[in-house]
Amino acid sequence: MSVVVSVVTVSRAASPGAERQSSYALMSADTKAMQDDPLLNPATFAVLDGQALWQESAGKKNRSCATCHGDASTSMKGVAASFPKFNSAKGSLVNLEGQINDCRVTHQEAAPLAFESKPLLSLSTFVATQSKGMPITVERNAANATSLDAGQHLFNQRMGQLNLSCAQCHAERAGQKLAGNPIPQAHPTAYPIYRLEWQAVGSLQRRLRNCLTGVRAEPYALGSKELLELELFLAWRARGMLLETPGVRP
Amino acid sequence: MPTTAKKGEILEIRIIVQHDMESGFRHTETGQRVPRDIIRDFLCVYNGVEVFRVELHPAMGANPLIIFSTVATESGTLEFKWSGDNGYASSTSSKLTVT
Repeated sequence: MSVVVSVVTVSRAASPGAERQSSYALMSADTKAMQDDPLLNPATFAVLDGQALWQESAGKKNRSCATCHGDASTSMKGVAASFPKFNSAKGSLVNLEGQINDCRVTHQEAAPLAFESKPLLSLSTFVATQSKGMPITVERNAANATSLDAGQHLFNQRMGQLNLSCAQCHAERAGQKLAGNPIPQAHPTAYPIYRLEWQAVGSLQRRLRNCLTGVRAEPYALGSKELLELELFLAWRARGMLLETPGVRP
Repeated sequence: MPTTAKKGEILEIRIIVQHDMESGFRHTETGQRVPRDIIRDFLCVYNGVEVFRVELHPAMGANPLIIFSTVATESGTLEFKWSGDNGYASSTSSKLTVT
């Protein structure tokens, strides 16, 4: 007797029955105005710093980003919207910051930049800004399938002393209030962001670590496999939504 | 700010500077106080005449944005200067044509 077993993967929508919405929609008029006007947006400094770093030669090869990639406004168009990717040669996931460091180490023979450091954030903000207004293009493929499933599993898994999963707040209760603040659907459409709470520009991984601290879980390390898997899942979940980088958030 | 104006017109000037504005009230994880390091003064000088001044205090957050207005009287240069703790000094300027 032959037995046929079928495995069905269930993918959860952002919020049951609701339209996907960027957290931009939840902000006050003043904060929206700050994001919309580059002359008011404090993340503009990061974009300008990144623009300067793009031209700066580095490493033993004494090359700049521009040496290989030329004008970022053409070569980097759509690039940020396609990350994270599974790098089959490396055998691991890579996000935009990771890719910048891979380029530095491999093609410039320079030391990688520390996660959340000003130069790395400036470069990733500058590169991501070249995808502003473009849809996120992260799709499921053979290479990233395992990582995507792992990311989805993490999103739905209860964690920390408060024993909450990402999904419980951001999928089931998006739009409701937590400590007086509206809960967003958690789509990474504006990263890197200038967060008013940080008074600085920060990456998605920084924000994810804050969430984990918020449920009183030990936050995964910057650059860890788990944070990359979550980034991949969140980007896939937000596929088709437009990038707003550089964003301002409360 | 606009680069041209009619005589007597009110100009709105928006200016933002990149500065961490360390308040002096924060502590490190080991309990050391992080010393104050803020911008103390901002002034706008229009053709050599001071038209606007701000005294900043630790309550001002990082990357302070200042929006103010002045009256366009004559063509010339508006200079913007910041000074602060630990010898911080920065300046920029903008030309204005008044008709």
